Amino acid sequence: MTNQTKSQFIAVASITSELSAVMVVAKEISLAAANAKAIAFRAGDKAKGFQPITDFINELAKETIELVTNINIYALVLYRLTVDEYQKTAAYNKFELAAKMAEGAVYAKSMQEPVDHARLSMQDCQRQFKRDVSQLLGQLEAVMHHARAARVIAANSRIEASQAGEYLQSLQAVAESVDKAAHTIHDNVQRCRIALSIYRNS
Amino acid sequence: MKMTKIYEGSHQWIMFGRDEGKPDNIIDTNQYVVRTPNRCLLLDPGGAELFAPMMAAVLHHAPVDQITDLFASHQDPDVISSLGLWDQALTNAKLHAPAIWEGFLRHYSCESIEYVPIPDNGGTIKLESVELQLIPAHYLHSPGNFHVYDPQAKILMTGDVGAAFEAPDAPVFVDNFAAHVEKMRHWHQRMMPSNQAKRVWIERVRNMDIDILAPQHGRMFKGDDVKRFLDWFDALQVGIAV
Repeated sequence: MTNQTKSQFIAVASITSELSAVMVVAKEISLAAANAKAIAFRAGDKAKGFQPITDFINELAKETIELVTNINIYALVLYRLTVDEYQKTAAYNKFELAAKMAEGAVYAKSMQEPVDHARLSMQDCQRQFKRDVSQLLGQLEAVMHHARAARVIAANSRIEASQAGEYLQSLQAVAESVDKAAHTIHDNVQRCRIALSIYRNS
Repeated sequence: MKMTKIYEGSHQWIMFGRDEGKPDNIIDTNQYVVRTPNRCLLLDPGGAELFAPMMAAVLHHAPVDQITDLFASHQDPDVISSLGLWDQALTNAKLHAPAIWEGFLRHYSCESIEYVPIPDNGGTIKLESVELQLIPAHYLHSPGNFHVYDPQAKILMTGDVGAAFEAPDAPVFVDNFAAHVEKMRHWHQRMMPSNQAKRVWIERVRNMDIDILAPQHGRMFKGDDVKRFLDWFDALQVGIAV
């Protein structure tokens, strides 16, 4: 296995690992939203501005979970494609070697068709991989967008929390947890993007 | 790779082995080819490491599009781990292999090649006018195991039965049976698990008219050495590791 193939396998495997962490964090945001909603309800008028924010947080968490679920399915397709490309490249190399070793054999020329076919299949796989990576990077960008939105919501939450009297600490804790989660999502997804960006279709 | 024609009649049998380019840390294997005018059957075509030299050697005898059939005596990697490569090279081929190993062998990738499962009681492979018999040899050593008998050429291909490990330049036929025995003893005692299976196989094989007994490793047996081998194997206690 070449270093390039190894890196490709590692890049694809790391997406699943990073995204499973994102999924956990997104679920935590969803929980924080539910918690915030309960606090805001108890706080009544003191947290009036906070109430619609909890719906935003919840919606954002749901959308992130949905996006990550789809990306995971896509990552699996990408993994299968990587295996396929590895097998096709190995076959092409072996076929070329066989053709070289068969020089002088009565039927040596009959090896040309399998060699050509293997080369085309390998190149198809490589092209498909690059196309799929570009699409996956687009989907990861959407998750990044959600993470950025979550940070804005966290900032707004802090402002609204400051108006909530005795509920200030509880609501600030909610804002902190959303901000922290947004950071984690951003960092993990950024690592996926860096791992994949070298394979992007140029 | 060394190529030896072991039968020439209406069809041919060719033995391939003693590959000088083989990595030192994998065992040497014999591959057999049955060639009819328009078709070609590879018996135990070998491991993935051996694919390129084996394909190159076969091209001395048949074009790629006439390699129509593969046979795997059992599921071991030295027998058939090249399957995924044959699968990509051949456009119209069948793999004849034990039914019980189908789900296992497909791990090597078998998409374009048609898997023809051999039931436990055996079957046949028809190659133009030649009919080869698939002889059950279960537990010798694999639980699902077949040998190939050609009644016309009087050749019995026996997979791991009769195997020995030899120097790369060793002759292809046994020339001194007494000296050869020690090269086979531990292999058969350790790898063959069942004395009962061995007895049943020997009874079956003694009724066949055999000129050449052709194992997957080491030298082939011909003439009186076939009977000598059966007698020796009959007397041997196997399954010694328990």
